[in-house]
Amino acid sequence: MYDVLIVGAGPSGLAAGIASRENGLNVKIIDEFPEAGGRLLGQLHEEPSGEWWNGIKETKKLLDQAEALDVDISCQISVYHIEKLDDSFITHTSEGEFASKTVLIATGAAETAAPIPGWTLPGVMSIGAAQVMTNVHRVRVGNKGIVVGVNVLSAAITRELQLAGVDVHSMALPAMNIVNQDEAHPDKVMENLVRIAHLAPSLFIRFGSNFAKIGLIRKLVVKFFPKKGIKMWDMPIHLRKAVLEINGTDKVESVTMGTVSSTGKLIKGSEVTVPVDFVCIAGGLYPLAELAAVVGCPFRYIDELGGHVPVHNEQMETPISGVYVSGNITGIESAKVARAQGTVAGLSISAALVKKNKKIKKQLNKAIKEVEKTRKDASIQFHPKIDEGREKIHQAFKEA
Amino acid sequence: MSDLIICRCEEVSLEDLIETEEKYKCSARELKLRTRAGMGYCGGRTCRPAVDLIVSKLTNEEPTHHLPLKVQPPVRPLTLANLGGLTDEK
Repeated sequence: MYDVLIVGAGPSGLAAGIASRENGLNVKIIDEFPEAGGRLLGQLHEEPSGEWWNGIKETKKLLDQAEALDVDISCQISVYHIEKLDDSFITHTSEGEFASKTVLIATGAAETAAPIPGWTLPGVMSIGAAQVMTNVHRVRVGNKGIVVGVNVLSAAITRELQLAGVDVHSMALPAMNIVNQDEAHPDKVMENLVRIAHLAPSLFIRFGSNFAKIGLIRKLVVKFFPKKGIKMWDMPIHLRKAVLEINGTDKVESVTMGTVSSTGKLIKGSEVTVPVDFVCIAGGLYPLAELAAVVGCPFRYIDELGGHVPVHNEQMETPISGVYVSGNITGIESAKVARAQGTVAGLSISAALVKKNKKIKKQLNKAIKEVEKTRKDASIQFHPKIDEGREKIHQAFKEA
Repeated sequence: MSDLIICRCEEVSLEDLIETEEKYKCSARELKLRTRAGMGYCGGRTCRPAVDLIVSKLTNEEPTHHLPLKVQPPVRPLTLANLGGLTDEK
């Protein structure tokens, strides 16, 4: 029987595996992707400090550490159920069952769809899929494309596509419909875009967005947002244009774009056809928490964390004894935060299983402070009120 | 607007969801069972947030802390062999 079975070999799962192995625990990490690293593998961006964050290199660092500690990692295994017994767990996978004293669910996040007519055509993909194809598989996603959905994630990945030499026509909003509301509302999109201004090397957007932090001025910025869009990395970002429909017979051939009002309403007669051969849809991320649900964790709906998240505390414990969570399953944040949370989870599990745990508890407290510091220093913040969201979920744990 | 597919696996359109909701005034779960939205191969991982949102908009209900659509194992597609049959074809 394993001391801990970790589901997910991303930054969080790997960091947890390392921390628990350092304390002598018998650890197994499983992941359904062909290689370890999770979404870290796709990441490549310039930090405000001018340094580059290369996810493949960061993964290698973690894997080297894990290997030195002899952490058991198996890829291409899917977990379809976690069953709680009296003092242990059975994890059901595509490669059989694994018994363990504790489980850490570090399954990360999934992409939220932003459905627009024609989104099922071949050549349409989620922005995350484009990232994996480009940075992991080194496959060109197409010759000329458009990114639908303007947010932190899509801006970062669009930049990666550009760096890989893929021609991106522009970034624009999705058509407004019952599902796409906030993502299709220029003022709300601007509110979120303000937070990534430091990533833009264009002085104009920096200048504009500093003013845009003030609500009224932000509304004016949106109202007078240039028709040509604002250029970021020589590519227009449109807040007043939406992709209304994706056209094509057997695959993507073009998109229909239209101008929208500052509240996202289509201005009739403004429709134009833009020829493209791929479309990336970016609707944001939500915590992938199915396994926490089947093992019986209670949930809270917390918008700041990206939707329904399993109840947990700062030590990454859930109200179900022996079940831990860390990384994006606990709320959408950067890979650095996920990694720091993984260390907390690994130490927390060690403190619970190792008898002489005074030193581990000290390390644990330090690791919790490290999460807070990492969160504060994060260059990509997915939600402005992440701290409030964290406070709410920790409070829910106390009540559980 | 042309027919907008919401659940790709089961090819359920927005129109199907709206019509079913209007006809039966149903809960999230009932809407899922009637239309099969979210019940396809991907297990709802693609359309779950969209279906949740549509249901809460159609029924005017704010999202609650409970997961609107219950999650049940298996949460990944499986072969029958995975469920206790033979592991290879002999």
